[in-house]
Amino acid sequence: MSSRNHKHDHFHDDHESLIVEDDAGNLEGQIIIDALQDVLIARGLLTAPEVLKEIEKLESPGVHLGAKIVARAWTDFDYKAKLLENGKQAIGDIGITVGEAQIIVVENTPKKHNLITCTLCSCYPRSILGQPPSWYISKAYRARAVREPRQVLAEFGTVLPDDMELIVHDSNADMRYLVLPEPPESLLDINETEMESLVTRDRLIGVMR
Amino acid sequence: MGIAARDHRFQPGDWVKVRHLRKSGHVRIPFYVRGKRGEIVNFCGSYLNPEDLAVGNTAGPAIDLYRVKFAQRDLWPAEGAPEHDYLVIEIYDHWLSSTDSSGGRQ
Amino acid sequence: MTRNNTSKTCPRGYHDIGGDAAGAIPRTELAWLHWEKQTEAIRNLLGDGTRRIVSLDEMRRGFENFGAEKYKALSFYRRRLDAMIDVLIEKRVITCEELDAAISEKRAVWLKAADQETP
Repeated sequence: MSSRNHKHDHFHDDHESLIVEDDAGNLEGQIIIDALQDVLIARGLLTAPEVLKEIEKLESPGVHLGAKIVARAWTDFDYKAKLLENGKQAIGDIGITVGEAQIIVVENTPKKHNLITCTLCSCYPRSILGQPPSWYISKAYRARAVREPRQVLAEFGTVLPDDMELIVHDSNADMRYLVLPEPPESLLDINETEMESLVTRDRLIGVMR
Repeated sequence: MGIAARDHRFQPGDWVKVRHLRKSGHVRIPFYVRGKRGEIVNFCGSYLNPEDLAVGNTAGPAIDLYRVKFAQRDLWPAEGAPEHDYLVIEIYDHWLSSTDSSGGRQ
Repeated sequence: MTRNNTSKTCPRGYHDIGGDAAGAIPRTELAWLHWEKQTEAIRNLLGDGTRRIVSLDEMRRGFENFGAEKYKALSFYRRRLDAMIDVLIEKRVITCEELDAAISEKRAVWLKAADQETP
């Protein structure tokens, strides 16, 4: 591609874990995608309003949806059972549209911890949580989470007791994963909003307990 | 997709081995599980094969997909993981062969 | 930790990095930029049920065929953008020439805008 410039002035070595575009790289990306959009519009394959609408759609999911699912599962035993049985259906039942083929919800307990990764690219339950964090797409996380998950967790400040079971899920194919974190010790004193605030992105991926 | 009613080859608890298929091109079975023994967790339904989708073939057939559980100690013997640490990954039927629990594993 | 990719029968892609040695996890939280969203949006539209022009797996094949050097030099979304373009050209949905022409046009607009900003 003659005019698609991907020459970087800065140095990349093999161990560089997260490639970040500099200002010139970001401008280049913007120029190329604008040009591609023009070509596709000229060919009648899409329209500018469709692109804007799709961007809005991409921007709307986020941790708040994951938090809503978890808070519901913490307070409603039947719902939790349904969520663990068929994630996509149970999530759809509370009005959240799941774009993925299936969501496997994995439950943390006092004896068991779950961690999600994708070694081949960066599969993530995007229709619920939005885009993955930068570290999730880094080479270091993708490479190490399957092999030395306890060390990776420790880097996030999560030190698991030796006798706790640890399951790493590599989302390599059609399923996407969501961790159901452990509820707070007492659910009696807090309302739903407070409960949702306890559910962070990092807990839903499993790098935090 | 995700047709659960059809017959499928493996049941939860069955032991399987990931085949070393001579496939180049786009595949979704990472190198680190190839040749490893694991246990079926569940059947996920049938999905179009990404190896076909990658070259624009959307005609199928759909392939059975399973979640398979591997002991971390079997995947990475040198790491010294506790025996209760596992990895779960999805494997398409054509990458799996039947085996038993004894092969290569104590 | 050495990378075992010596098997003659099973080529191991450079993207297949599970278990490789790597340093500390970079804990940066990067903003999601407009061109990155636009790239994802256009790929989603091209892959939707009415269009079916570029599937996710075709795009993945695209960046798995870049060659390791390019794959490792590009950021996550730039990989996806370039791979999508490769597939579109390969499938003759667009031509290289028309895209190049459109890129020159866009670049000219940016350069002109930059000129006007500098006194």
